[in-house]
Amino acid sequence: MTEIADIPPPRTETPAPPDREAARLGFRLTLPAQLLVLFIAVFPICMQIYISLTDWSPLDGIPWWRAHELWIGLTNYSDLASDFRFWGALWRTLFVMLVCVPVQFFLGLGLAILFVDEFPGRRIFYSVLLVPMMVVPAVAGYMFFMLFQSGGPVNDILSAFAGRTVSIAWLSDPDLALAAVIIADIWQWTPLMFLILLAGLVSVPKDQQLAAVLLGAGWWRRFRTIILPRMKTIIIIALAIRVIENFKIFDTLYIMTGGGPGIATETISVYIYKVTQQELIWGYVAAIALAILISLSIVSAFAIARLRRGS
Amino acid sequence: MTEIVLDTLGKDFGSFTALRDMDLTIRDGEFMALLGPSGCGKSTTMNMIAGMLEPTRGQIRFDGKRIDGVPMAKRGVGFVFQNYAIFTHMSVRENLAYGPKAQGMSRAEVTRRVSDIAELLQLTPMLDRRAAGLSVNILQRIAIGRSAAVEPAIFLLDEPLSNVDAAFRAVMRSELKGLQRRFSQTMVYVTHDQLEAMTMADRIAVMDHGRLLQVGTPLEVYNNPSDTFVARFIGSPGMNLIPARVDGDTAHMDGIGALTLTAAPGTAQVLAGFRPEVVHPDDDGPLAMGVEIVEHIGARTIVHLRAGETEVKAVLDAEHTAPREGQAFRFRVDAADIRLFDPATGAAMKRHG
Amino acid sequence: MASIRFQNVTKRFGDIVALDDASFEIRDNAFFCLFGPPLSGKSTILKLILGLETPDTGGIFIDGQPVAHVSPAKRNVAMVFQNLALFPHMSALDNVRFPLVERKIPEAQIRARVAQVTEKLHIGHILGKPPAQLSGGERQRVAIARALVRDPAAYLMDDPISALDARLREETRVELRRIQQEMQKTLVYVTHDQEEAMSVADGMAVLESGRIRQIGTPEDLYRQPNSTYVAEMLGAPRINVIPGDMAGVIALPNLPAGAARIGIRPENLRVNPGGGEGTISEIEPLGAFTTLSIDARGQTLKASLRGQPDLQTGAHVSLSVDPARAHFFDAAGNALAVDA
Repeated sequence: MTEIADIPPPRTETPAPPDREAARLGFRLTLPAQLLVLFIAVFPICMQIYISLTDWSPLDGIPWWRAHELWIGLTNYSDLASDFRFWGALWRTLFVMLVCVPVQFFLGLGLAILFVDEFPGRRIFYSVLLVPMMVVPAVAGYMFFMLFQSGGPVNDILSAFAGRTVSIAWLSDPDLALAAVIIADIWQWTPLMFLILLAGLVSVPKDQQLAAVLLGAGWWRRFRTIILPRMKTIIIIALAIRVIENFKIFDTLYIMTGGGPGIATETISVYIYKVTQQELIWGYVAAIALAILISLSIVSAFAIARLRRGS
Repeated sequence: MTEIVLDTLGKDFGSFTALRDMDLTIRDGEFMALLGPSGCGKSTTMNMIAGMLEPTRGQIRFDGKRIDGVPMAKRGVGFVFQNYAIFTHMSVRENLAYGPKAQGMSRAEVTRRVSDIAELLQLTPMLDRRAAGLSVNILQRIAIGRSAAVEPAIFLLDEPLSNVDAAFRAVMRSELKGLQRRFSQTMVYVTHDQLEAMTMADRIAVMDHGRLLQVGTPLEVYNNPSDTFVARFIGSPGMNLIPARVDGDTAHMDGIGALTLTAAPGTAQVLAGFRPEVVHPDDDGPLAMGVEIVEHIGARTIVHLRAGETEVKAVLDAEHTAPREGQAFRFRVDAADIRLFDPATGAAMKRHG
Repeated sequence: MASIRFQNVTKRFGDIVALDDASFEIRDNAFFCLFGPPLSGKSTILKLILGLETPDTGGIFIDGQPVAHVSPAKRNVAMVFQNLALFPHMSALDNVRFPLVERKIPEAQIRARVAQVTEKLHIGHILGKPPAQLSGGERQRVAIARALVRDPAAYLMDDPISALDARLREETRVELRRIQQEMQKTLVYVTHDQEEAMSVADGMAVLESGRIRQIGTPEDLYRQPNSTYVAEMLGAPRINVIPGDMAGVIALPNLPAGAARIGIRPENLRVNPGGGEGTISEIEPLGAFTTLSIDARGQTLKASLRGQPDLQTGAHVSLSVDPARAHFFDAAGNALAVDA
């Protein structure tokens, strides 16, 4: 056998090394757009920080830039720390997320695995599966609102199965209302998970899977040693998208329950909406919004760091 | 250590016949090349041996046992993919250990096999490197080592050199041949490159349009091609095939001249075949054509000759002064170097004497 | 109609010197080939000619005129891409017309120009077909017609046939020679295949990591390489380069002063059966040629013999070489001037 020759890896396009001069020119040319984007992103945040330190409300009759006249320092933040409604809403949001995202993930992954191979009717099922994602959330909200009425179709179907009349008060029982909301979210957002995971699954090199088969690996071993490691990045992306989106859960839920009964389904977004629209204490709202922004940023930063380490 | 028998093997895809009635015996320990242009059925044949495709007709036998119907994981086939299909997210060691682990061998056995294979293929120093970014010849060794670790009955190789730069193919060829000798395994190698087949294989099976045209050692297919396709496909450049009118033991080629044959074939119209290498420049030669293009390729010079619509290629070595483009060129071809083909069927005509 | 001249051109990308003080001239109507391994600077030269990159130092002249401040669009140099980049949804004719239509040239002029180019390239009969229905050679001609329809001063090709299989490459490179003879235009051609380079070019430059190692006709470079690098880059099987103290093995009586290494092309190594220091370790019969590997004093030499000699592996042979056909290199790998 010949000694190990220095043969480069199979041909791939080598990108030209970056040209510093060109990079500088590019920076100068895009500077106005960058400033605009910076302004759009930074201005609202600065405004929020400013207002969150005041007791300003649109009813006070002074414009927002003069809110410092109502300066209260960190009072809004200390109020937040002891606001049981806020913590309750936060806990409920996390609970919904902890139920919804894993269920959506495993359902989506299962469906994706099913849909990777050809089977009769695949195209039709595929289209049907994607429908919930395309339904306007408000429409979905009304749909589930009607489905879960005590005389609605869900109870009718349950009655048919049970052989007696079932009249569960889905949306007025605090626990069941939360369950109904979770079911609606799973219905609407599993397709997105499915779509992303299917794209990831398809991108796992076929010949590596075939090579594993030829080496005697069964399905589970192949899934564990070839498919999962190669899908890691896309799984993290899918989870991050759903965690962030689910944290903001609002529209469907609000139409179904309005956050009720009582505050039984009041999530962070619903709570903020109510404080903004009904109680009009905007300085406090700004403080809540900032607190959430910071916690979401931490979650995203964590996900991005995981991604970087993975690749 | 396996003899593979393909018995009237055939494969249809819908109404398209990818392979028709292929009979081929691949001997124990043999390096067999399946050679042909794309779409000739060579990959279909190999995929059926591997079990990725089921035959439409006929049988495949390993050492006398029918293998069709046996799932591919159970056939004991080592497969080296075109791009090697190395698990790039694993280390070299994990790649080599994949098969033994998947087959549920004991930890001690896995370790033993990996270190044996690594030693044999000189991969020991890089066992803990990640497989991504290694050089191609290392990837080739890992691919072969990974299959060898489960001690397959046969190796199938699917054009493993087609992604390798021209400059490195020679190194890779000699390395692959060395590996085959070391394992003394039955190997089936699919390629469209006649040079790879000629330099590595013990025997070559030349295929075209789903048919097996000829099986033989590299020199057999080179010296005595069974038909015009094999004659053109083997050799670089391939054989010249010129329509000729036979009169006694002379073949007249319009606008070029007459060839003397060793015997009269008894047919009026033939295709006269001769390799570019047997064209001898000869100022008194009976044949003459115009020089169209001259390619100087180091040791060899390829001269493209033309007379009307007829083209002939000649390969001259450095001993001869190459003619200039636009000149007339006189040459001769010795009678022993001429092969005759039936212009209607393309089949080689029997040689008399 | 154009000559292209590089004068002391250097181009860096960050810390990488992509082209190092290159000076050369490509004659008008030449088929000039840039040959070297990946990242040796071939593509950088193409980009500099096209004007996609600007040199850090040095000057580039097209037809004697400096082009430093001429934009790519105004340089009148055309490019044929590696994958040909024909538009699949257009007929061959629309592909060829495309560059002129884009430039809003009057219809009468477009017709005249297209007719002229397509006639020269013999593709008049296939113009109605889409690229998918054309053969590889025809597609090549359509792509070249599209490049030449603007009547550029020169045209460039970046490894245009490397994706084809071996047999098709052999045919297409001859086709390129024919086209070049018919078109009479300066062609700068990049390849990493030595056989292709020698086959098509009438002038070539061998590059190594940004430096031009030697320029000349393929025959000159093959017969008189100025270094072991150039000698090893050209020719298959590769030239044998052995240390000077092995001269005895190949029966070379006296070496020129300073010869540290000897290069013998496989076709110049004479193999004499009937005992000797060499042992045949491998025989590769290729039909027209037979390649032998011969082990001697711990080295493996390659010999390429004409035809199908009757030899066996394990046989002992003696080796010799015509001193006039041997190459001598100093310790640094540069050729000694012996052919004076």
